[in-house]
Amino acid sequence: MSAVRFLRIARQRLTALFRPGAVERALDRELAFHFDALVREKMAAGLPERDAIREAHRDFGAVRTIREQSRDALGLTAVAGIVDDARYGWRLLRRAPGFTTVAGLALAVGIGATAAAAGVVAFLLARPLPFASGDRLVRISTTAVDGTLFPRTVSIHQYRAWQAHATTISALGASRGGSFVIADGVEPSERVQGQAFTPSLFTVLGIRPAHGRVFDAVADPFDRRARVAIISYRLWQRRYRGATDAIGRRIQVDGASREIVGVMPEDFRLQSDNVDLWIPLIFAATPADGQAQDMPLLLVTARLGDGATIDGARAELEGIARELHPERPAPSLDLASLRETLYGWTRPRLATLGAMAALLLTLACANVAALLLARGALRRRELAMRVALGASRRRLVRQLLTESLVLGLTASVPAALVTWAGLRAVAAALAPPPALPRLAAVTPDAWVFAIVATLCVLSSIGFGALPALAASRVDATDVSVTSYDQRLHSRRVPRWRSRLLIVQIALAEVLLVAGALLTISYLRLSGRELNLDPRGILSFTYTLRANDVIQPITAADGRSAFTIGSTGTRTFSDLLSRLEAIPGSGIVGAISFPPVNSLVVPMVSAIRVSPSGDRPMKVAYFLVTPKIFAALRTPVLAGREFDARDARGGPPAVVVNDAFAALCCPDGVIGQHLRLDVGDDEPVREIVGVVGSVPTRLDQPAVTPAVYVPYLQHPLQYRGIAVGMFAGMTFVLRTDGDAAAVLSAARAAAAAITPDRPLDEIGTVQAHLYARLGDRRSYVLALDTFALLAALLAIVGLHGVMTHDVVGRTNEIAVRRALGARGREILALVSRPSAAVIGCGVGIGAALALAASGLLAPQLWGVTARDAATFTGITLSLMAAASLGGVAAARRALSVDPASGLRRD
Amino acid sequence: MPKPSDLLQGTLDLLILKTLTRDPLHGWAIVKRIQVLSDEELSVGQGSLYPALHRLESQGWIVAEWKESDQGRSAKVYSLTRDGRQQLERELATWKRLSTAVGLLLKRA
Repeated sequence: MSAVRFLRIARQRLTALFRPGAVERALDRELAFHFDALVREKMAAGLPERDAIREAHRDFGAVRTIREQSRDALGLTAVAGIVDDARYGWRLLRRAPGFTTVAGLALAVGIGATAAAAGVVAFLLARPLPFASGDRLVRISTTAVDGTLFPRTVSIHQYRAWQAHATTISALGASRGGSFVIADGVEPSERVQGQAFTPSLFTVLGIRPAHGRVFDAVADPFDRRARVAIISYRLWQRRYRGATDAIGRRIQVDGASREIVGVMPEDFRLQSDNVDLWIPLIFAATPADGQAQDMPLLLVTARLGDGATIDGARAELEGIARELHPERPAPSLDLASLRETLYGWTRPRLATLGAMAALLLTLACANVAALLLARGALRRRELAMRVALGASRRRLVRQLLTESLVLGLTASVPAALVTWAGLRAVAAALAPPPALPRLAAVTPDAWVFAIVATLCVLSSIGFGALPALAASRVDATDVSVTSYDQRLHSRRVPRWRSRLLIVQIALAEVLLVAGALLTISYLRLSGRELNLDPRGILSFTYTLRANDVIQPITAADGRSAFTIGSTGTRTFSDLLSRLEAIPGSGIVGAISFPPVNSLVVPMVSAIRVSPSGDRPMKVAYFLVTPKIFAALRTPVLAGREFDARDARGGPPAVVVNDAFAALCCPDGVIGQHLRLDVGDDEPVREIVGVVGSVPTRLDQPAVTPAVYVPYLQHPLQYRGIAVGMFAGMTFVLRTDGDAAAVLSAARAAAAAITPDRPLDEIGTVQAHLYARLGDRRSYVLALDTFALLAALLAIVGLHGVMTHDVVGRTNEIAVRRALGARGREILALVSRPSAAVIGCGVGIGAALALAASGLLAPQLWGVTARDAATFTGITLSLMAAASLGGVAAARRALSVDPASGLRRD
Repeated sequence: MPKPSDLLQGTLDLLILKTLTRDPLHGWAIVKRIQVLSDEELSVGQGSLYPALHRLESQGWIVAEWKESDQGRSAKVYSLTRDGRQQLERELATWKRLSTAVGLLLKRA
């Protein structure tokens, strides 16, 4: 069939469906026109008008017959039939409010959950990125070939060479994240998240500020034109109240004055949701100009040229990088579409949520199908009557399917509500809010509602087809069937009903096992030994201007290197003693990065100095003040904490955590010597203490081996990329007074030393812990909700079908009771089928769960995918709960009056 | 004069499609055109014509449009679609096969 014809026919059918009145009127007009023409012809032949009309009536024949036939041809009859069926179905639903509520809610939950997951998938992975031809954008990162610490970095040289020579990419830009203190002498100074953008990045992304202009492409980082900044719409509104003259004002960014040249569009997001400031990222012409060759944490974004593929671009860029440094190992580049790097990492959780929601929907469909089967048996007489009156089987199936559709569409209203709430829940379950740009803005739109509608229609067919086919298998003689009767139940129906129950229980088992495994992981992860006491700690970060502490130098081999001045330690010591002088400040310590949940922890390589020469290990590296472990209440397991001995000039010392001790020297760790690869002047250090392992990331399973170095003994020549640790520390106060008073005194103390450096990230360690676990908790909660709803649905379904069964067997039970059967025997008799169904369902479910739970393994912690205890526990609980449902239904049998059997027939 | 119901099944469709090949016509004009072209031999009753027209329309072979007629009233005017033209070719071929076969049988039997 040609597409034109198909569209034409579809349009006609739709008109017949939605505007039947218009089609009827057109038909009448057409016939009237013909009639008048006939009359005119007769009058032209000489007949008087009255006779002409009479003859025309005779010739025209029965207008009604013509109309009926034409209405058939135009599809109006079928439409009227469907409308009638739908109306009838709606009346049936209203007459059975219990059934309608249960079925409608089951469907609403299944459809809503699936639509929410599908809506987020569509939002993240299908909708165009908000950049011009966003699907041509790629992210470039180098993969580790020489075991460098941060694997994903690109050197400035590589970047320049690509920009000059690559033909597969049409534009190249880079960015780097960071946080900056802004001040303008009017509003209080504050710390904001910022990004440095090369001017070319605006071209790559195809974006323009909402107001003002982009950065000038200048070659010299010290050019006056590079001393500019663009602010976010949010910051513009908050700090400048949207004033148009904000552009052109000057603002202090980390102490350097910059001119505001633009305001970004309100919805612009690249890496995360919380960026408020953009400054130019300008690479010096030669490294000698003061910038190191390697640019750590540089995110390179490119636009593919016409016709170029990701693979082609990778090959070309790798070739260029190889020529640049023939002496280094061949680099291996990681190119991925921008969308993939922004959102691809959410796939495991998204897939799990989507799969669980789809299983829940399947279960809901099976549930409703079983309910419909049961009702079909009750309606056997009505359907037989229709057959007796001449309805074809096809007509019956159409009627029953239309009724299912009415039920599905009825469920679409609560389903849309569930979807609306579910979108937020899914978004919260994927990642902490700022990490997935724009996801916070996900709202139900036309797409989402289209998904809901499609799912409603599909599931109507899904749950309606089987009951419709089964129920339409009647013949006219069934009219004589009286109410409940053995013949109500053709043998097929109970068999199908049992199968549907087994499906439900099996799916519920699968969902429960998955939910339980992830819940156990979450609980083990959040309840594990922290080796610090988060309650009652006040913490904040205090950061100096990097330029005042750190001077970059060019190292011979091209690795980043810096000289570290004494300003940092001097200032920190000053602040430390001022903090200790505050009444109620308690124990005061400081550490170079937050002890838990820091996004960045510098990793260095450590080698034990021994005659045999040990292998180097990657360890987390922290600079700490003496009382830090006391302040955190981290247990000192062996040796000692740092104290006044561990000053510059004192014997080089190091404290390690027990994860490190176990790896390095199982045979006694105190007194061993370590060499840390942090700089040329780094001495060999003696291990003086072992402390309990604090998990550096609470949401990640592994405990990192860590070393702690006295802050006064930091290297003076640092080689590495985490230079930030020399310019800032996180202060930890185990207060014994009013925390608010201590905090304001601490602010005053910091302001007395450096008026322009505010305290940041003020909070309690406890809040910090939960902020990072929040998304995992939402995720587990969402999955548990699915699993519990699944179990509930399955049990309600079992109860409903069993009740039906008991009612259907009333006569039999009455006769048995009359013949002297005891209650327990009756109970056993009617419970037997449900026991078989439960046993089968749980068995199949457990087998399915065993086969599939391996897929969850990467998301599990502290529990294996086939954990026997979990499987047994879930299986037994589900069996117990389902049996209770079955028995509750079976108890109805006990209330059957033995005399009723006699009365019925 | 044979009644349309005496016409072979499907022949009416063929006649209507063929009549519409030259220009769009309303129902009344189709009746008249069939009469004239068949030298008054064939007459299609409205009772058969309109259901047939509407069936052809719902098949997508012809499309209807409301137009001013010569009498100044608006009439539903049908015209052949591209798909209808192909359908006409098929029906013509069928018709030719059938009439040849009938002719052969009458000659030989």
